[in-house]
Amino acid sequence: MLASIFNSPYFYPSIYHWLVLSSALFSIGIYGFLTRKNAVGILISLELCLNSGALNFVVFDYFRGNHIDGKIMALFIIAVAAAEVVIAMAIFVGMFKHKKTIDVTEMNQMRN
Amino acid sequence: MLPEIIVLITAFTLMFVDLFLKRETRYFLMGIPLGGLALAFISVFFLSNRKSFGGQFSLENIDLWLKVFFILCAFVIAIASFSFILGESKETCHKKQIYSFEFLTILLFNLSGMLFLVSARDLLTLYVSLELSTLPLFILTAWKRDALSSEAGLKYVVLGALASALLLLGFSIFYGLTGTMDLVLIGRSTNVSPLFWFASVLVISAIGFKLTLVPFHMWAPEVYQGAPTVVTAYLSVASKGAGLVLMFQIFFRIFGASISSFYFAIALLSALTMTLGNVVAIVQENIKRFMAFSAISQAGYLIMGFLGGFHANSQAVLQGLSRTHPLIALSMMIGLFGLAGIPPLSGFIGKFFLFSVAASSGFYWLVAVAAINSVISLYYYLRIVRQMYIEPVLETTVFPMKLSMGGLLGSLVVISVLLGLVPVFYETILWTWKN
Repeated sequence: MLASIFNSPYFYPSIYHWLVLSSALFSIGIYGFLTRKNAVGILISLELCLNSGALNFVVFDYFRGNHIDGKIMALFIIAVAAAEVVIAMAIFVGMFKHKKTIDVTEMNQMRN
Repeated sequence: MLPEIIVLITAFTLMFVDLFLKRETRYFLMGIPLGGLALAFISVFFLSNRKSFGGQFSLENIDLWLKVFFILCAFVIAIASFSFILGESKETCHKKQIYSFEFLTILLFNLSGMLFLVSARDLLTLYVSLELSTLPLFILTAWKRDALSSEAGLKYVVLGALASALLLLGFSIFYGLTGTMDLVLIGRSTNVSPLFWFASVLVISAIGFKLTLVPFHMWAPEVYQGAPTVVTAYLSVASKGAGLVLMFQIFFRIFGASISSFYFAIALLSALTMTLGNVVAIVQENIKRFMAFSAISQAGYLIMGFLGGFHANSQAVLQGLSRTHPLIALSMMIGLFGLAGIPPLSGFIGKFFLFSVAASSGFYWLVAVAAINSVISLYYYLRIVRQMYIEPVLETTVFPMKLSMGGLLGSLVVISVLLGLVPVFYETILWTWKN
C-alpha cells in the first residue's frame, strides 16, 4: 500500500513544484532584504536569493536532458557566494569597530 | 589568454614577494606590477583570433581593443596609487597600511576578471568573471578602514550582492528557456515569451547597477565619496567599462535577434540617466559626489574621471588653483571641457559618434535631450573653472605635487587632446567592430 503511493508518478514533484519552491525562496529573500535592519540579516536574505538561482540551475538541468552544465554552475555559484560572504563580513566587522552597530538604518554619515 | 595569465602571475608574485621582504626595501616592489602590466599590454598585440576551451573563451578584434583599454586603466591607476600605498598621501590613515602592496594585488585580480569578462562566451564564464571583476572592488572601497570608507563598502557590498542575485535568476531563466549555456546559442534559440521578458528585466537591472543607470544609481554617490580617491577613479572608469562589456555581451549575443525591441527601453534609460545626473550634479557641494553624478550623466566617455584624483574634498578647495598650481588648473580645465564636449577635445568626437548612432536609428528626441543636457553640464563644469581662475586663493589650495602624479596628469591631457584631433582612431575601432 505504502510502496504503491511512493512509486506512483504523482508522488514525485514535477518541474512546476521545484520552480514554485525556488520562486518562494527568492521572494522570501527579497522580503528579508527590504525589511531587515541588521546587515547580517540582509546578507542571509541575499544568500536565499543566490541559492534560489542555484536551485533553478539544477532543476532546469535535471528536467531538460540532464547535461552536466547546470550542476557545475550551481557549484560555482556556491563558491562565489562564499567569497561574497567573506568580504561582506570583513567589511561589517570594520564598520562595527567604528560605530558599535551594524544597523543599516544608522548608515547616514554621507549627506550633502 | 596570454594577458590574463601574465596579470594573474604578476598578482601572485607581488603578493608573495611582499610577504617576505622587509619594510624599508619594499619601495622597490613598484616595478613588479608596472612591469607585469606592460608585459600584458605588449602580449595583447601578439594574440590571434581564436577559440579555446571548446569556444568558451574566444577572441575577436573588438575584444583586443577592450583588453588594451582595461590594461591601460589599471596601469594608470597603479601609478596614481603609489603615494597612497606608500603612505605619503593624506588619505592613508592606518600606520599598518603603509607599504601594503596587497592593494595592487587585489587591483590585478580585478583586472584579470575584466579581461576574462571580455572573452567570455558562456553563462558560467560570464558570471564568474563578472563576480571577479566586482568582488575586489568591495575590498578596495573599504580600504581606508575609517567610518566613511567602511560605510561606503557596506552599501556597495549589500547592493552589489543584490544585483548579482538578480543577474543569476535572470541567467537561470535563460538557461531554462533554452537548455544551453552558450550565449550565442541562447540568442538563436529564444522565442520572445513573457518569461523571456521577465529574465531580460532582471538582467538589465543588474547591468544598470554596474553602469549606474538611473533607477539603479543610488549606490554611486555614496561609494564614490567614501572610497579612496584612486579607487573612485578606478570605479568610474574601469568598473563602468566592465559594465559596458557586460551590456555588449548580453545585448549582442543573447538579445541579438530581438535587440530592436529593446531600443525604446535603452533610449528611455539613457535619457533619464543623463537628465537626472545633470540636474542633481548642479547642487552638489562635495567634489567627489559631484564627479559621481557627472559620471552618472556621462555614462559613456569617462576617461577623464581621473580628475577626481586630487586630495580635495570640497569644491572650495580648488579656489584660486590657477595661481598656486597653474598647470594643474590648466589640465583640470582641459579635462572638464573635454567632458563637456568642446570641439578639439576627445569628448566632442565621442559625443558626435554617439549622437549620430542614435539619430541614424531614428531617436531624434533622444539626441535633443542629450544636446540640452550637454549645455546644462557646461554650466557646472564652468563653475569649477571659475573657482580655479577667478576666486581668491585659500590656504588649503596649497598642496605638494609629486612628479609622477604631474607626469601622469600631463600625459592624460595630451592623450585627451590627441584623441580629439585624431578621429581615425575611432573609425578604426568602428571598422573592426563592423567586420
